[in-house]
Amino acid sequence: MQLTRVSFRYRKRDRLVISHADARLSAGDVVELTGANGAGKSTLLRLLAGLARPSSGVIADRPAVVGFAPDRFPTAQPFTVTTYLRHMSRVRGDARWEPWAERLGLGPLLHTALRDLSKGSAHKVGLVQALMAGPGLLILDEPFAGLDADTREALPAIAAELAERGAIVIAADHQSGLRDLPALRHWTLQNGHLHESPSPLTLPATPAITAGTPQRPGTPEAAGQVTVAVTLPACDLPRFLARMRDEGYLAREIEESH
Amino acid sequence: MIALAAFRLAAYVRSHRVYQALLLALAMLAIVYGSRAPRGVETAVLADGAVLIVPILAWAARSLLDTEPDRQRELSAIQVGGRGREVAAGLLAAFAACAVLAALVLAWALLLGVSVSPPPAALAAAALLYVLAALAGTALGALTSRAVLPSPAVSIMALLLGFMAMLLVSASSLYWLTVPLLAWMKAANAGDLVERLPELAAISLAWCTAGLAAYVHLRRRA
Repeated sequence: MQLTRVSFRYRKRDRLVISHADARLSAGDVVELTGANGAGKSTLLRLLAGLARPSSGVIADRPAVVGFAPDRFPTAQPFTVTTYLRHMSRVRGDARWEPWAERLGLGPLLHTALRDLSKGSAHKVGLVQALMAGPGLLILDEPFAGLDADTREALPAIAAELAERGAIVIAADHQSGLRDLPALRHWTLQNGHLHESPSPLTLPATPAITAGTPQRPGTPEAAGQVTVAVTLPACDLPRFLARMRDEGYLAREIEESH
Repeated sequence: MIALAAFRLAAYVRSHRVYQALLLALAMLAIVYGSRAPRGVETAVLADGAVLIVPILAWAARSLLDTEPDRQRELSAIQVGGRGREVAAGLLAAFAACAVLAALVLAWALLLGVSVSPPPAALAAAALLYVLAALAGTALGALTSRAVLPSPAVSIMALLLGFMAMLLVSASSLYWLTVPLLAWMKAANAGDLVERLPELAAISLAWCTAGLAAYVHLRRRA
């Protein structure tokens, strides 16, 4: 997939929201897109998904099957979770949605009306409808917002699996939920300009916190980072890791070696 | 595309929005066909119903297209494989809803509005008018739906004024400049609907096609 000098403005005389963006995406790429509020992240995602046409420039070779999980799933619809996903499955040519619903923990909510779902549960429905068809391009807008700890843990693995199968995964994400993925590409939007920066794993300034045994082959020690061990009650671990990640640290759980 | 049209029809029914148009249609039927028309005016009575149902069908089409939240419309476009297919599925669903309502009105008119069934040729001509009414309603409803006119006030005014404009223009000698609703009624009253049907149907079809094409253009440009 190739973006060539892609620019976008909403109306003719408006300023450019996206300005001359160039990028190449290959099968298996996972991209984390960041930028300040109003920087144009959602607009870029809409362009990538094919929901909007560039004012100038070209987006070529978009994969045929696209999955899009919005930051706010539209719950004002007269369906239960099951009836909604069945309809979407038929639209997708009878795609299998049940395994994804199970994996994301939607099982107990299948007969709940969409309008009665919490924000996080509604977000899961949005993820399931995006994942069900095995997309070649998966676009996630703030995928970790409002999710419970289990799903936050599961989502990076799902993204990695899709990437292994050759899908391109692009996530606009303030919480750096995908930062543990190897070879994560990092895009930043600033004033409408798209920049690609080195992966956070190679940045020297970000300390890492590892819960469990310190040191591990492959950790970014060589890049000048420091790994510390933190001991805490097991029940507090998910909350602690989530908090550290929210603050920008590379935090993960590793298994005890003894 | 069929699956997406079915999804939108299901949403229209499950949200109970369908009852708005249904109740309006029933009220119109109760007034227009409160008593059976005398023999000899069957075709005119059926044509009256085809014209009077147009704004209700436009309301139904607009209501159906507006049932889906804007964000879901985007998701649907991605799910179905493109904006063009999503627009086509919406129009198909809207036309299906309009066709069912138009069929209900025609059936009511035949059962309770006339004393005897009109001759087969006149009945077929009247049935075609109801199909054209469903098309006209779909086009007018689509052009005033939220995806084209985001303001509800502007949208409702445009729908009503659009219907009024159709009536006024079609009452004049320039009836060919719009869907010639009053020309349908005049032809039916004069007893020459069957003879004039090719001309009137062609004009009606052309304007309905133009309206639907304008909607597709506006949606794809957005």
